[in-house]
Amino acid sequence: MSLTAFIGAMELGLVYSLLAFGTYISFRILKVADLTVDGSFVLGAAASAMLTFEGMPVVGIVAALTLGAIAGVITALLQTKMGIQPILAGILTMTGLYSINLMVMGGKANIPLLNKTNIFTNAENFGVRTYKIIVLAAIITVVFIILNWFFRTLLGLSLRATGDNEDMCRASSINTDSVKVVGFALSNSIVALSGALVAQMQQSADVNMGSGMVVISFASLIIGSVIIKDNNITMGLLSVVIGSIIYRLIIALILTTNFPPSYLKLISAIVVITALSLPNLKRKMEINRMGRGRKYAKNQLS
Amino acid sequence: MLRINSVNKTFNKNSLDEYAALNNINLHISQGEFVTIIGGNGAGKSTLFNAISGSILCDSGEIILGDEDITYMPEHKRASFIGRIFQDPMKGTAPNMTVGENLIISYMRSTNRNVIGVPSKKEKDYIREHLSSLNLGLENRMKTKIGLLSGGQRQAVTLVMATLVKPKLLLLDEHTAALDPVSAKTVTEITKKIVSENNITTLMITHNISSALDMGTRTIMMDSGRIVMDLKGEERKKATVQSLLAKFN
Repeated sequence: MSLTAFIGAMELGLVYSLLAFGTYISFRILKVADLTVDGSFVLGAAASAMLTFEGMPVVGIVAALTLGAIAGVITALLQTKMGIQPILAGILTMTGLYSINLMVMGGKANIPLLNKTNIFTNAENFGVRTYKIIVLAAIITVVFIILNWFFRTLLGLSLRATGDNEDMCRASSINTDSVKVVGFALSNSIVALSGALVAQMQQSADVNMGSGMVVISFASLIIGSVIIKDNNITMGLLSVVIGSIIYRLIIALILTTNFPPSYLKLISAIVVITALSLPNLKRKMEINRMGRGRKYAKNQLS
Repeated sequence: MLRINSVNKTFNKNSLDEYAALNNINLHISQGEFVTIIGGNGAGKSTLFNAISGSILCDSGEIILGDEDITYMPEHKRASFIGRIFQDPMKGTAPNMTVGENLIISYMRSTNRNVIGVPSKKEKDYIREHLSSLNLGLENRMKTKIGLLSGGQRQAVTLVMATLVKPKLLLLDEHTAALDPVSAKTVTEITKKIVSENNITTLMITHNISSALDMGTRTIMMDSGRIVMDLKGEERKKATVQSLLAKFN
């Protein structure tokens, strides 16, 4: 792998680790696969692209954070107040967001941002090739510190308890509905931030850039949890970043071969399927083995 | 302290399965009383607890705790001053969070703290001290995931969670029934200790008649949604397991 490819993979790994922070909150902490992500990622990118186009890249990022949070609130309200199944609630918001995203992008499916100032342009003056990595690492550190602190506050602890045992929460006078609203808002806000940064980094936003984001982020979560098994919050968040970087490095490696890039999403899906089904398959194999052992012992006796 | 006035609850109203779980219940409990409740399955004991804690709303009547009418107060609001422990040790704690985190949540909830507050060192020490009073050695396992503890230990932690800040009322719903005899005895002893030391008004459902008489200051028996017997003082002292069993039939 060339140095350029390596730096590219690191950049992508870092920017998408924010996406994975978002799904860490919904998937790992609230234990819900939140499909809003595919929409809120684009929502963040769209808002950020439009405002970068107007010369306000930082405002674009703030707008992405806000809009992402609103998308999360809607999914949470569909789940809690309207009683719609969690997965379906996410799909509904995601579907609705497609139109909203097009609207934000002024009806165009693609916003090119070539030669527009973005938050990375100033950093070019650092004079090193890794300037994007420096900017991204700084942003991730801030998000990491905020999340790490948040999950030690009463609200953060309540959020974790809501995903872990709702009965216990109600008995501890936690309003689980409100807590879920906060959780999904926070999750999608960070996802939108990821989208916003991707748009500025790649200097374009596309209405279809969000498809498959859920699966990509799950792949990062899973790779991360294989590498760091300790699942307290600090380690969990760290594993997300590492997982995301490794995922991008694997993809970069695959791209150095002649493998067609169109297969990447299939590979992501297979990674997630394998990781999620492995514990179950292992157990089944163990039972089978024990069964065979018993049959063998019986034959020996008779 | 707790006044339950003519409370009714009927399930499956206007159908063949209509069933009065609570039938004109009147019960007055004074501050510091420890009431044990016995009765067969379907007598309405758990429904009574559900009505008090708010997981079901009663059809008619009123429930007054202290000076406050809580008949229609949402469950999670009541939970800040009513502690409740269930039969299932898995229900009361969050298994993937540590012993310390579980205790901190319930402590901070009951002290009505700012939602983005973080517990101080002093508060953590207070919680640890409380836990060490159980003599189960759990204070050294504050960082252990609660799911790794035994059912008895979990139930003991749940009990501490419910009483870290003294609740106005403590509801124990057969909280030792799922435990082995040794753990059940330990949890029973801890219950007695916590309740008497803090003088907590307590209601306890049990199927163990001898512990119903042994623990607490008053015993009531329920049947078909009614309170059919109410023993206290001298009368209760004279009662034996045999005499109560005779009434069961």
